[in-house]
Amino acid sequence: MADEEEDPTFEEENEEIGGGAEGGQGKRKRLFSKKLRCMMYGFGDDQNPYTESVDILEDLVIEFITEMAHKAMSIGRQGRIQVEDIVFLIRKDPRKFARVKDLLTMNEELKRARKAFDEANYGS
Amino acid sequence: MDDARESPTDKGGETGESDETVAAPGDPGATDTDGIPEETDGDADTDLKEAAAEEGELKSQDVSDLTAVEREDSSLLTPAAKKLKIDTKEKKEKKQKVDEDEIQKMQILVSSFSEEQLNRYEMYRRSAFPKAAIKRLIQSITGTSVSQNVVIAMSGISKVFVGEVVEEALDVCEKWGEMPPLQPKHMREAVRRLKSKGQIPNSKHKKIIFF
Repeated sequence: MADEEEDPTFEEENEEIGGGAEGGQGKRKRLFSKKLRCMMYGFGDDQNPYTESVDILEDLVIEFITEMAHKAMSIGRQGRIQVEDIVFLIRKDPRKFARVKDLLTMNEELKRARKAFDEANYGS
Repeated sequence: MDDARESPTDKGGETGESDETVAAPGDPGATDTDGIPEETDGDADTDLKEAAAEEGELKSQDVSDLTAVEREDSSLLTPAAKKLKIDTKEKKEKKQKVDEDEIQKMQILVSSFSEEQLNRYEMYRRSAFPKAAIKRLIQSITGTSVSQNVVIAMSGISKVFVGEVVEEALDVCEKWGEMPPLQPKHMREAVRRLKSKGQIPNSKHKKIIFF
C-alpha cells in the first residue's frame, strides 16, 4: 500500500535523477531542476511547469554551455576560456551581449565598493 | 517556490542583491530589451539603444552617432580628440539622465503590480544558476580551471538563453491556441524556430556552401 502511494512521487524523483529509459541526457543527474522551475515561472510559464519541459530545458542549457565552452576554447588563447572570448562569441546577439556587459560592469563596481569598504574599516 | 525565496544567498553572487537595492541602471535596460510582460516604452527603448551603443562597442545593428564621430576623426587628430571627449561627456550625461528616467519608470511600474505579477517578477529577478554547478560543468568541459568572471558571464548568458526559449515557447503555445504550462511539443517547436534564426549554436553539423 505504502509503495503505491509513493509510486508517483518516486517516479518523479526518478525522472529528476534522470532514470534509465530517458532520451537525451539519461544517466546524468539533474543539475538545475529546482532553479529552472523558478526561472521558467519568472519568464512566464505556469507556477508548476511540467517536469518533461524542465528536463528539455536543462538539456538545452547544458548543450548551450558546452557549445559555447568549446567555441571559446578554440578562439583567442587556445585551450583556455577567457571572458573576452565569450564576449566575442556573443557579439551578434544584442540581448546576451548587453547582459554580459552589465553583469561584468556591476561585478567590477561591487568589487570596488567592497574594497573601499574594507579599506575604510581597516583605516578606522 | 520556497526555495526561491531563500535563493538570494546563492543567487549569482551579490549581483542579485544589488539589483534589488540599487536598481542598477544596467538591469532595467536588460529587462526592457528582454521584452518580458512589462510594458516597454517606445521612447525608453530607443534611448536605451543609443545609450548602449554609446559605450563604444560596435553593434552590427545600430549606427550610433559615436561611431560616426569616430570615423570622421580618424583622419584628423587633436581638435577631433577634443570634440570626441566633449561628445562622450554629453552622451554620458544624457545616458545618466536616461537611466534615471528608466529607474523611475521601473519603480512606477513595479509599484502597480498585482500580487501574482510581483511574485513572478521576484522569481524573474532572483532565479539564477548556481555558480558552483556552472563552474563544475565548465571545468569538466575544458579540463582547466576557469576564472570567476567566466562563470558569471556564462550563467548570465544561460539565463538569457532560457528566457529566449521560454518566451518563444509561450508564443508557440499561444499561437496554437493552448494554455500554459508549456508542454514538450511547444519547447521543441520553439527550439526549431530559434535554430532557424541562428540563436542556438550548433557546431555539430558542417554546412556545405558550394557543391
